[in-house]
Amino acid sequence: MKFSQAMMALAAATAMQFAASPAAFATGKMKCDAGPQSGWKSRSVLEAQLKKDGWKVKKSMVDGGCYEVYGVTPEGQNVEAYFHPVTMEKLLVSQRGKVIFKK
Amino acid sequence: MLRILNIPQLFWVLLAIPAAAMITGFVGDPVTAFDLVHSSGEFSIRLMIIAMMISPLRAIFGRRLWLDWLLARRRAIGVAAFGYGLLHLLFYLYDMGEWGQIWEEVAIFSIWTGYLALLILAAMASTSNNRAQRALKRNWKRLQQLVYPAALLVALHWLYVDGELQAMAVHFVPLLILETARIVLMFKRRSARNAKQALTG
Repeated sequence: MKFSQAMMALAAATAMQFAASPAAFATGKMKCDAGPQSGWKSRSVLEAQLKKDGWKVKKSMVDGGCYEVYGVTPEGQNVEAYFHPVTMEKLLVSQRGKVIFKK
Repeated sequence: MLRILNIPQLFWVLLAIPAAAMITGFVGDPVTAFDLVHSSGEFSIRLMIIAMMISPLRAIFGRRLWLDWLLARRRAIGVAAFGYGLLHLLFYLYDMGEWGQIWEEVAIFSIWTGYLALLILAAMASTSNNRAQRALKRNWKRLQQLVYPAALLVALHWLYVDGELQAMAVHFVPLLILETARIVLMFKRRSARNAKQALTG
């Protein structure tokens, strides 16, 4: 088998492996069941609290019914963090896909 | 009109337009580096995939005018893929802003796969000229075939940084289908050839 064929077979096999097992990646990182948005605390309250705790907030949004924040932790790590929109509880912190905190 | 499109320099200019827009945006407001990390990376991958699709498309459809047109521009597309990858790295470094943290992230799977892929693209781009092609002889093709492991690394990089399959799959599944079709065709043609040889030989 030639080098190019071996490489193509390897690429195909690995990609098919991932296509066949999407469970780990299919549904996003976190889901919150927090009821209607009218009952949520506002995102600016969360951002203010985080800044008070020493975070730097780059961007925040709603994802999977949770608040998702891109920012820098007080320790200096660049992360993507999920918070419950009612309790403001920290649920998941991921550094470039590596989970460094999970409730 | 089509004649104008065929000027090689114009094709390079076309490839550079999104980069110019990104850099202008960044200079105007450096905070946008955070968002530009994503868009520059996506451009790099799209160009890489387009360059990679040309060979399997030719294996499947044979020689076609539009495929020849693309093939003549494959080198430019590939070098541009590296250019956007480099831009992607620069926006990332700026957004990180601190060498200690940049170094810490090298150890994370989603990050070192990206560095490794970019290294491969750098080796390919720096030998994407006729002189290097002549000097490296057969090894030149070997070097360019490293695009397959690079594509795999890039797919993993995207999947693990993002944590979601969809965006990555939308880009890589078409390429995967073409490569699979190419391999199937290759084996079919080979067995047909062998059968013919068995008959006549």
